[in-house]
Amino acid sequence: MTSTDLEIAQPYTGEKARLSRAYDYLILVLALFLFIGAFHLHVALTVGDWDFWVDWKDRQWWPLVTPLMMITFPAAVQAVLWTHFRLPLGATLCIACLLIGTWIARFFAYHLWNYFPINEVLPATMLPSALVLDAILMLSDSVTVTSIFGGMAFALLFYPSNWPIFAMFHVPVEYGGAQLTVADLFGFEYIRAGTPEYLRLIERGTLRTYGQVATPLSAFCSGLLCTLMYPAWWFIGKAFATTRFVQKI
Amino acid sequence: MSVTSQEIQPVAAAHVSFGPPWYLREVYKYLATFAGLTIIYVGFRLYQGVFGVSTGLDSSEPAFATHWMRLLYIELAVLAVVFPALWGYLWFTRDQNMDAMSPKEEITRYFTLTMWISVYTFAVYWAGSYFAEQDNSWHQVSVRDTPFTANHIIEFYFNFPLYVLLGGSAWIYARTRLPLYAKGISVPLTLAVVGPFMILVSVGFNEWGHTFWFREEFFAAPIHWGFVIGVWFALGVGGILLQQVERLTELLNKIEDAA
Repeated sequence: MTSTDLEIAQPYTGEKARLSRAYDYLILVLALFLFIGAFHLHVALTVGDWDFWVDWKDRQWWPLVTPLMMITFPAAVQAVLWTHFRLPLGATLCIACLLIGTWIARFFAYHLWNYFPINEVLPATMLPSALVLDAILMLSDSVTVTSIFGGMAFALLFYPSNWPIFAMFHVPVEYGGAQLTVADLFGFEYIRAGTPEYLRLIERGTLRTYGQVATPLSAFCSGLLCTLMYPAWWFIGKAFATTRFVQKI
Repeated sequence: MSVTSQEIQPVAAAHVSFGPPWYLREVYKYLATFAGLTIIYVGFRLYQGVFGVSTGLDSSEPAFATHWMRLLYIELAVLAVVFPALWGYLWFTRDQNMDAMSPKEEITRYFTLTMWISVYTFAVYWAGSYFAEQDNSWHQVSVRDTPFTANHIIEFYFNFPLYVLLGGSAWIYARTRLPLYAKGISVPLTLAVVGPFMILVSVGFNEWGHTFWFREEFFAAPIHWGFVIGVWFALGVGGILLQQVERLTELLNKIEDAA
């Protein structure tokens, strides 16, 4: 859009304005259910158990996989909403929709139907990361800058954002002569027929584990991958948002 | 299309009417469809709550056949009747003189198409979000002894076909009632409908894999990634939005402001 276009363009008034606003509301409802449904399915089948279960929320895989798989739809939606509508909320919209979907499922599907304690199935949050990602895109108006700084911040903010929610489950307890965490205890007490213990992919402590820096290592690795994942998904979003018509499929 | 609240003036008293404005002609049908679908989905969840544990844990029990396999046959029969009828209706009532369409009529139809897609995404929500994650929950309390579990019967064999068929309905509506979509096949609309259809097809691979290879339920395992790739295509809705906004802007410039 040129400066001449900006001078000519006048906002709608009267009926046209009301019509335009009615269309916005329709799109809002459509987008709400689209992103709850589509993004939640994507996350459930890629992050999956690391988000479902408190005893999967470890230092190695959880902070690595979660931001990496959750930066996808936010980047793709930003590519449309920021580029075409100057709406700096693509990431926050996706993550907020995801949280609505996960909370409904955890409460009604896990807790009410199958009696898992809600504390065992609390979802992680990426809202702080999403807000920062949107803010960096808005302030920089640059895919490159957002990829590097936004992608890194998206991953690095994950663990500290969630620590206040999940720290209490990392408290050590002695049980049956062994030391384990409260989170582990949840997993042992509430048997999961489909996900036996040998499938629990969590950090295995070895002499080569870097002591207390396991989490920062995973977070920075995730940050690096997010800086690559962000532009990849920006262009995926852009590709899907084509306006092409064809004569034959 | 952007407006600010200041620019939206209240409707003058003389113009107040109790019906919806002309461009929201189908809004009551839209709301009724939402209500109907909500009743169906919540009804399924309540049914699961009542009969899931009591009759849905062992597929060899006679009670399983009564409460769950019968439900499966009823679902399939309903879908087999409703959707040919709906698609047939959309086709046989198509507009055969689109060149004569007024801008106002075309705008109204764009609103109606948006409602169709909105109903489609509502069905995507129940299939992709609630009942999908609930499937993981159910697999943790029941031993997988059949592809037709108490949750699969609703998720795979009703919810998936339903959103596919609703997406197909939106596609047919656009193709038979809007000039832009009649002259050419919209790539993003087709992607947004056909891609998620592949999720239904992925059920075949999922059930084959879970039967012969991987009986457990690790949700992030590659056996599920067919579903993931299918759902990415829902991002085509961004392209539909851009197509619509561009055309609506052209149409709005053609009509007189009646306010």
